Amino acid sequence: MSDEVLRILAEGVGAFAVEPAGPRPGAADPDAYDPLDPGTFDEAAYLRANPDVAASVARGEIDSGYRHFLVHGFREGRPTGRTPIEPRNRLLRAPGAAAAPTAEVAGSCDALIAGPDGSVMIVGWVDDAASPLESIRVTGPCWRLVLDGASLIRIRRQDAEAALGRPVAHAYGFLGFVAGEPGAVLSEFGPCGVELWMANGGCVSLRADCRMQGEVALREALLATLAHADFLGNPGIERVAAMEGGFGAQVVRLNRSITDRLVAAPYLERFGPPPRAGGFRGSIVVCLYGKAEFLAVQNALYAGLPGIEDYEFVYVSNSPELGETLLRDARGGSRTHGIAQTVMVLAGNAGFGAANNAAARAARSGRVMIVNPDVFPLDADWAARHSALVAEAPAERTRIFGVPLYYDDGSLMHGGMHFEIDHALSLVEGAFHRRALVRVEHYGKGAPPGTARYLQGRPVPAVTGAFISADRDWYERLGGFTEDFVFGHYEDADLCLKSIEAGTAPWMHPLRLWHLEGKGSTRLPAHEGGSAVNRWLFSSRWAARLEAQGLLGAYPSHPLLQPPDGFDA
Amino acid sequence: MKVLLVSLFHPELVRGGAQQVCYELFEGLKATPGVEPVLLAAVEPRFAALYKAGARITGFDNRPDEYLFLSRGYDYWWHRCTDPLLLEAYVEFLEMVRPDVVHFHHFLLFGVNLFSLTRRILPEARLVFTFHEFLSICAADGQMLRRTDGALCTRASNVRCHQCFPDQGPEQFFMREMWMKRHLSVIDAFTTPSRFMQEHYAGWGIERARMHHVTNGQRDYSGGRTRLAPRARRNRFGFFGQLVDNKGVWLLLRAVALLRAEGFTDFSVEINGDNLIYASEARRREIEEFLAAEEALPLEERIVQMNGSYQVDQLGQRMGRVDWCVVPSTWWEIFGLVISEAWMFRRPVIASDIGGPGERIRHEVDGLHFDVGDARSLADALRRAATEEGLWERLSAGITAPAGREVMVGGFLDLYRGGSGAVAVAAAVAAPRRR
Repeated sequence: MSDEVLRILAEGVGAFAVEPAGPRPGAADPDAYDPLDPGTFDEAAYLRANPDVAASVARGEIDSGYRHFLVHGFREGRPTGRTPIEPRNRLLRAPGAAAAPTAEVAGSCDALIAGPDGSVMIVGWVDDAASPLESIRVTGPCWRLVLDGASLIRIRRQDAEAALGRPVAHAYGFLGFVAGEPGAVLSEFGPCGVELWMANGGCVSLRADCRMQGEVALREALLATLAHADFLGNPGIERVAAMEGGFGAQVVRLNRSITDRLVAAPYLERFGPPPRAGGFRGSIVVCLYGKAEFLAVQNALYAGLPGIEDYEFVYVSNSPELGETLLRDARGGSRTHGIAQTVMVLAGNAGFGAANNAAARAARSGRVMIVNPDVFPLDADWAARHSALVAEAPAERTRIFGVPLYYDDGSLMHGGMHFEIDHALSLVEGAFHRRALVRVEHYGKGAPPGTARYLQGRPVPAVTGAFISADRDWYERLGGFTEDFVFGHYEDADLCLKSIEAGTAPWMHPLRLWHLEGKGSTRLPAHEGGSAVNRWLFSSRWAARLEAQGLLGAYPSHPLLQPPDGFDA
Repeated sequence: MKVLLVSLFHPELVRGGAQQVCYELFEGLKATPGVEPVLLAAVEPRFAALYKAGARITGFDNRPDEYLFLSRGYDYWWHRCTDPLLLEAYVEFLEMVRPDVVHFHHFLLFGVNLFSLTRRILPEARLVFTFHEFLSICAADGQMLRRTDGALCTRASNVRCHQCFPDQGPEQFFMREMWMKRHLSVIDAFTTPSRFMQEHYAGWGIERARMHHVTNGQRDYSGGRTRLAPRARRNRFGFFGQLVDNKGVWLLLRAVALLRAEGFTDFSVEINGDNLIYASEARRREIEEFLAAEEALPLEERIVQMNGSYQVDQLGQRMGRVDWCVVPSTWWEIFGLVISEAWMFRRPVIASDIGGPGERIRHEVDGLHFDVGDARSLADALRRAATEEGLWERLSAGITAPAGREVMVGGFLDLYRGGSGAVAVAAAVAAPRRR
């Protein structure tokens, strides 16, 4: 009990027994809750819960609700109206569990998952139609966490609607997540108290078993839940929009934590001949996920073509379970075809950007060529022409460039990329919100193979990550791919936009390759959740800049993106 | 000239046309002055006793110049050898043998990537590949039969193949085709035992200039026992071959059922062969039920008799029991060694009118055709053969002796030396004739 309390009690209520001064259990813990402590007493909540006291304070009859509580309210059993006052989205440790408030409205906690780094995910629903969910306090064996209501994703739960007998348009469900702190270690799990606090002070007090999962499994569960979540309105829009309250930033934090750890200690082995005198002209970097067979197929289809002997391959696998197969196939492939290649295996899925950056660091040439595993030569002499192009074309046209890619049906799949903005409308708490979401479009998608305007050398807003050839120094100066994106998507566009901002536009040059789009890896529900995070992230970073810098549309006005002399449109 | 023959299986271990032809060639080359053949036959892990610890390529049963390729880790989708140690062993074997010619028969169990590896290790060697089916083109066991309805397929495409394998996207077949063609690109000469095969492969993209027709040839197993005692009716039919779906024994049984239902029963059918376990469940049940019902009939009412499997040295005895051979294959039968064997004994053949039989048998000259897959058409052919006076004698007299082993060896030697392989063959093998 603090000196302040003792002073007030001594002044105002002689009938109260006064505890002797001295140390008390938990007093050394600044985060410990004590309703008599002025540092943790919720003045506003007390006045809200006791309007007569508020009126008395307003009239100047008593100087504060706190004083009233100590002098009268405590003895009268007045409600404190206590709501969480802890800092939001931060794990706080306490020696014991806080007492759970009495349930006042219907609700449920369906899943409570924590990671060893202190990340916490919670899924459930609550009947907050009358007063919105303001925060969630989770009290574990030796920790507690309060999630800010604004950072929760609100989900449509038809099962809750049925249980409540209220088939009304209200998102009863919630999905909350807070990423762990760097260096944090959490080892206490099991039964936890969960308090769902409404804005009006109402509360649902629940018990839930907290399940422990590793960071990667937690990410999968989180993103899969996000992918399967139902929303009021357009799910594609609302899922992305839901990232804005802070949820998206927390997912990015978790993802970066995983990525940084995975790329820090890769396994690496080299096969085939050493670099020729003068070194390789380029390093073909291929990121594999879920399918090992592409290494053998690419080995066969690239080997033996004119000029390919000047290039090495660097395969990086986001699937550790494929490691043994890849090493075996690389050994066999180099023996059969005589190609130089490196296999890098990561301990988990670090995502497209981080994996390619890690592989690029292992490259042994001054040019990084990002190539998807399902990209194969269409022009047999593409490698020789690539070398000639890099040697002869002006440097600003080859610092970063892409090539036309073709579907297996012979039509054009990719002739460069440009950006559009979708303005989506959603209704939030009775008010319309207009959201700007960036959409990436491909020039000439599905066009006849010989469509001239897509096959001429020209600057474009972006090129696909299925094939990017970049001067290594330039690639590194740009910081490589941004590693914030979850799993993979938008890194290519992001890299190209970073290049434009740094003064060099990406170009397209007519070296033709096949691209069996989307067949080079396996796609899981978690990837759909990751896509929502990525679209939010990319849009939040670039939408305004695209508009301001004249980078929108198929014919952007940006000065670096004007067709060269002689371009035949 | 040192010739390495790389074969699917060894015929001593597993019977089959491709390995039998390859072994005939091996023996023929051994008998040819100036030629040193070496045989490398792939086997699969079910022959566990042959897989000596740590060995990857071994000798075979004390036979000079015969080796086994102990296949393991074979990738049946991409048809590749995945074991780098086995690849290393093969490289060492090539460097030890140093052949002037490497002749591949089939690629199952060793893989198409051995073509590229061979070219890399032996850049000057002449590489020859004999197609024994359409496995390069068709992922459905190389049969070119639609998995959707069993219909004959005439061409592969990304979408058509996807229809046969709905769980594989069209792109997978696009890659498969590129993969196959990449490895086949190192082959100097392709051979086919039948000419019609070249149309399929040319349509798929193999240059005609690299394809050559070299017929299969065999020793004469008849020992001169070609004559049949005079009989009033030539109404005894024989089936020789495997009892798998595509060989069509089920079609023959259906034709028998049709004739029996019409009241025509004055004929007999003898079935010689095995491997019914490799037939599909539906076909196996159909055959087993027919044979069980036949077995339940009084002896004098039975038409069909099951004789079981046979070895080459039993051919004379089996052929002696029949007047006609029936080859009711429902796929693009590539060559039909059984036709050659029937001709050794001067038995006319009643066969489907496509593929190797369609090409080799001259309708109304040395045999009869019926519409492939049509039990009615086959039943009509059987009834005619059993009843038409003088037909058997006329067709038997029209039979030309099949190409012997020496013809095949001559054709391949010509090809090994840079020729077309057709010089020796042309004189001995009739041009394709269709009705």
